[in-house]
Amino acid sequence: MPTTVLTYIVRRLIGAVILLFIVSAVVFSIFFLIPRAAGASADDLASRYVGKSAGVEQIHQTAVKLGFTDPIYVQYGRFAKGIVVGQDYNYGPAVEHCPAPCLGYSFITQNPVLPDLLDRLPVTLSLAAGAAVLWLVGGVSIGVISALKRGSALDRASMSVALAGVSLPIFFTGLLTLSIFSYGLGWTAPGGANPMDATSPLDWAYRMILPWITLAFLFAAAYARLTRAGMLETMNEDYIRTARAKGLRERDVVVKHGLRAALTPILTIFGLDLGLLLGGAILTETTFSLPGLGQYAVQAINNNDLPKVLGVTLLGAVFIIMANLIVDLLYAVVDPRVRTK
Amino acid sequence: MMQKRMMTVAAGAVLALGLSACSGGTTSTTPTAAGGTADAANAAVTKVLRPSTTKGGTLRFGMPGDWDSVDPGDTYYGLSWNFLRNYARTLTVFKSTAGAPVVVPDLAEALGVPSDNATTWTYKLRDGLKFEDGSPITSADVKYGVARQLDKDTFPNGPTYFNDFLKDVPKGYSVYKDKNLADLKSIETPDAKTIIFHLKSSFAGFDFFAQLPATAPVPVAKDTGAKYKEHVVSSGPYMFDTVSLGKKYTLKRNPNYDPKTDPESGRLALPDNISVELGLNAPDVDNRLIAGDLDVDINGSGVQAATQGKILADATLKTKTDNANSARTWFSVLNTDVPPLNNVDCRKAVLLAYDKTGYQRAYGGAIGGDIATSLMPPMVPGYKSFDLYEAKTKPTGDVTAAKAELAKCGQPNGFATNISYRAERPKEKATAESLQQSLAKIGVTLTIKPYPTGDYFKLYAGKPDFAKTNKLGIMVYGWGADWPDGFGFLSQIVDSRVIRPAGNTNLGIKIPAVDAQIDKALATTDITARNAIWGNIDQMVNENASVVLGVWTKGLFYRPDNLTNVFINPAFGQYDYAAIGTSKK
Amino acid sequence: MAPPEAVLKGPGKIEGRSLGQIALMRLRRDKVAMTGGGVVIFLILSALFAPLIVGVLGHPPNEFHQELINADTQVPFKPWGGVSPSFLFGIEPVNGRDLFSRVLYGAQISLLIATLATMISVGIGTVLGVTAGYFGGRVDSFISRLMDIFLAFPLLVFALALAGVIPDHAFGLSGDSLKIGVIIFIIGFFNWPYIGRIIRGQTLSLREREFVDAARSLGARHPYILFKELLPNLLAPILVYSTLLIPSNILFEAALSYLGVGVQPPRATWGGMLSDATQWYQVDPEFILPAGLAIFVTVLAFNLFGDGLRDALDPRSR
Repeated sequence: MPTTVLTYIVRRLIGAVILLFIVSAVVFSIFFLIPRAAGASADDLASRYVGKSAGVEQIHQTAVKLGFTDPIYVQYGRFAKGIVVGQDYNYGPAVEHCPAPCLGYSFITQNPVLPDLLDRLPVTLSLAAGAAVLWLVGGVSIGVISALKRGSALDRASMSVALAGVSLPIFFTGLLTLSIFSYGLGWTAPGGANPMDATSPLDWAYRMILPWITLAFLFAAAYARLTRAGMLETMNEDYIRTARAKGLRERDVVVKHGLRAALTPILTIFGLDLGLLLGGAILTETTFSLPGLGQYAVQAINNNDLPKVLGVTLLGAVFIIMANLIVDLLYAVVDPRVRTK
Repeated sequence: MMQKRMMTVAAGAVLALGLSACSGGTTSTTPTAAGGTADAANAAVTKVLRPSTTKGGTLRFGMPGDWDSVDPGDTYYGLSWNFLRNYARTLTVFKSTAGAPVVVPDLAEALGVPSDNATTWTYKLRDGLKFEDGSPITSADVKYGVARQLDKDTFPNGPTYFNDFLKDVPKGYSVYKDKNLADLKSIETPDAKTIIFHLKSSFAGFDFFAQLPATAPVPVAKDTGAKYKEHVVSSGPYMFDTVSLGKKYTLKRNPNYDPKTDPESGRLALPDNISVELGLNAPDVDNRLIAGDLDVDINGSGVQAATQGKILADATLKTKTDNANSARTWFSVLNTDVPPLNNVDCRKAVLLAYDKTGYQRAYGGAIGGDIATSLMPPMVPGYKSFDLYEAKTKPTGDVTAAKAELAKCGQPNGFATNISYRAERPKEKATAESLQQSLAKIGVTLTIKPYPTGDYFKLYAGKPDFAKTNKLGIMVYGWGADWPDGFGFLSQIVDSRVIRPAGNTNLGIKIPAVDAQIDKALATTDITARNAIWGNIDQMVNENASVVLGVWTKGLFYRPDNLTNVFINPAFGQYDYAAIGTSKK
Repeated sequence: MAPPEAVLKGPGKIEGRSLGQIALMRLRRDKVAMTGGGVVIFLILSALFAPLIVGVLGHPPNEFHQELINADTQVPFKPWGGVSPSFLFGIEPVNGRDLFSRVLYGAQISLLIATLATMISVGIGTVLGVTAGYFGGRVDSFISRLMDIFLAFPLLVFALALAGVIPDHAFGLSGDSLKIGVIIFIIGFFNWPYIGRIIRGQTLSLREREFVDAARSLGARHPYILFKELLPNLLAPILVYSTLLIPSNILFEAALSYLGVGVQPPRATWGGMLSDATQWYQVDPEFILPAGLAIFVTVLAFNLFGDGLRDALDPRSR
């Protein structure tokens, strides 16, 4: 049996890597084609990186030097190679070496993209991790309790709140909580406080508590609903009745049998949501002015700095694919039927 | 945000800088300690508030966005020229003083000595000048600093005054291609302390060129070209400690800076450390200033519109503000390449119809500035008072007169065109919307087109081909003087000969008569006569209906309590960043 | 024993009720869902008749009213964001535009984009989902991989970057219409796996049912089975998940316009209004409310109705 698990894992890993390459190729192509679709030539692209007094010939030379005139597959090949072995960019007085893995090089800030991403990752990580803990614990507990006390006032109330929660956009709730708790009452840090500048773990939590709660509320609402639905389904199953008939304590019935079964789809979704969030919680970071990957992506897009956008998108894809993979692997470990597919 | 240097020439008052402020303030280590100058609105506009010589603390600057570069050879932002005096010394420099702007010698021991009818300028360096690593600063280092920034491919951002005025600069000259500095004959360094500039034609105001960041010395051995901004070698009281491009700079004291070699500039170097945070959200900068989390908004253009409302409504906060003038005008350019705006009567219709008060409101009402009737604000020498389009008599616009002009130009029912602005600037968006609304009254339909700020001049409004193809009839803009006189304000925006294929500062003003007058002004040595010519040039540009005038800027600045020695430096129209201190440890 | 009702009623027909009719009855009894549905209809009508309503109750959406704005503080003179009988939701800072009419015109854009995008998603998702589920094997593998790829994209970044470079003229459209068209396409095109997965699942389970076997054994070809047997049974989940996809698309469109993508100023969008409100929340917090509440009420109404619809068609999940 271990070999089957191993084969499954290896197969999925290879699948994940292939998927990553496909995604990177598609993303690269689209970002390659976008400016051309908008009517820009290679020279137009290069003109952003030359001086004010550059002549036409100079611009063209820069375009050639930066590789803009090469066909798309050559440019992609270079990019893919760069991820593995690093790349050199020759754009003028200096040759810039972008060490492996080179996720791209921004000609506007003249720096490789990956260090920027790694710099901002902790902020997004802080946001995602803190909110994830809150929403998983909060959402699931409320869902379980609502399911168990189905039809009660508590159930109806919490489901109403949950329904409201999934109907609210975070940039609305964020603005409201900022104006009430941060500006009005002064309980929480003002927007824009960088969590990574915190002087202590307590300070870190102080800076993040409002974004955490606001973000978690939205997800918790969804998870409460999901958990409740899942629990209701499982609790109706025969084996629950058997467990009760066997004389097990109600708590064991609920947790060991009911919850475990209901949790599997929840965990799947949790993995995917977390992966998505790590790729850049754009809306939350913009609303609360957190200098994470999401804000980086928006700034890069606003500046038309495509290598940065490419880098951030790929990183996001990596997280999503990784999350998918981990969830699938956990499934394989838990459920033998999956492996033999 | 591409601000240009801001200058203010306050009428008259010059205050002696230093300990003995007129209110008899003593040095204080706690904010609002008894004996310090009391907080009041505009207390730091023409005087020094809380004068101090107490050293210590970390001065925390913050900024929404970023500026072009900390490399002295590659920067064109007023805030940058203000700030770089902390880590770079130039041949001459604007003194850190309140009241009126004055250029004093910095690296040089005296102001420039002209000869050959002001086509040759000579400076002698002081003794004991050192870089941050202890190596001596020589005239060759200053020459190298100027020479390297002539290469506008490597350094696309800075001003081009040296390129335009130095004599016999080889075409396409770059120190990275031609390593032999002696080939650049326009600048001579006969010995380690003397530097001589040779110009194409006379220019009496060369000391203004000498204070440009370009004359900051750069050691050849440490020059890494476009990467130099990652570690600029300091010649000033501070040196770079950590550089995280786009995020944060920290500076610490330069042990090899000797204040005795710097008697005239007014630099005080009070804080022990300086930090600059970049890429912040504009409203957050204001919030953090008020909360005491930041000391200075380095952007230096004042608080956001929303903060303005909050501050003005609060009596206590209001005492911590300064509403300062600066030599900057917000205006929009009418593109004569886009029909029917090629017809002067159509342009005049636009100028008669638009709501001047609406434009002012877009920038924050009276606090944001006074309604402009000319390009140059009153504080710039050469300012001429005229009102060609009824800004004073009919500030909300004159629909009847405008329609008459429309009939004259053959568009009695109006026409349609596009208006561009920098997407990240809410005030420019408000301007575009205001113009759209007021011009709709005469049938002129504007379609609003935002473009990214970073590329606005390189790819969009500043690229004539793009502007023409995309029918950008009106381009929202603004300009501040590089230094306080007509040349410093107008030359880069109304002279048609500075128009390039891309990256323009003149967005489309092409009037041959104006060009002729500019040449005349450069050749006129008498200051009064010269100023009068610039005033006429301003009037000609407006008679030609080339610009939609907005406001002469005022900024509403907020200064937290812990700032010491804070005052508006009239040369920049911002708080002086080289003499300011903090009482927070 | 009392006679059954049918007999009591006399010579009437004993009718079996179809699934649809049963569902409809259940739906009607669900008061909450019906309220949601009512609100949805009300909103759609308001958006459709926005020009009329605004003509009576409000002012043109782009018209400035700067006389009502304090020139120094840039906020309305009147409290509560400038609410008055003439300006039901208040006015915008700086320019004094009527927020009531802007919310209504914003509704037009939100509903239009969300509905059309949903139709595109449902269209693509159904076609691909059914194909994958029905034909199985390699086709299924391929389409499932396709779904994986689409789901692996950080959607928002992608949509932002794509929407940011829309040229001025293309496909016969220009200006705002083009931008709206592209946004619809992006949202619709990238959201199809959501429906696709569900339809695929449903098709997989339906495929094994007897009636399909029966049809096949009678010699029916694929198109017949697909259209006459499977599709009618898929209508219910398609309907339910479409109704649930619309609110999610409304939120997505609001997110895009919040980030500055999509129609240009001065056109009103809910997301754009929230984005403008960001800089004013300290001095004019009421400005956050009109657009935010509009989004909330709309999305909530759709969710309520969609939930009710799902429960009506499948009561076990109640």
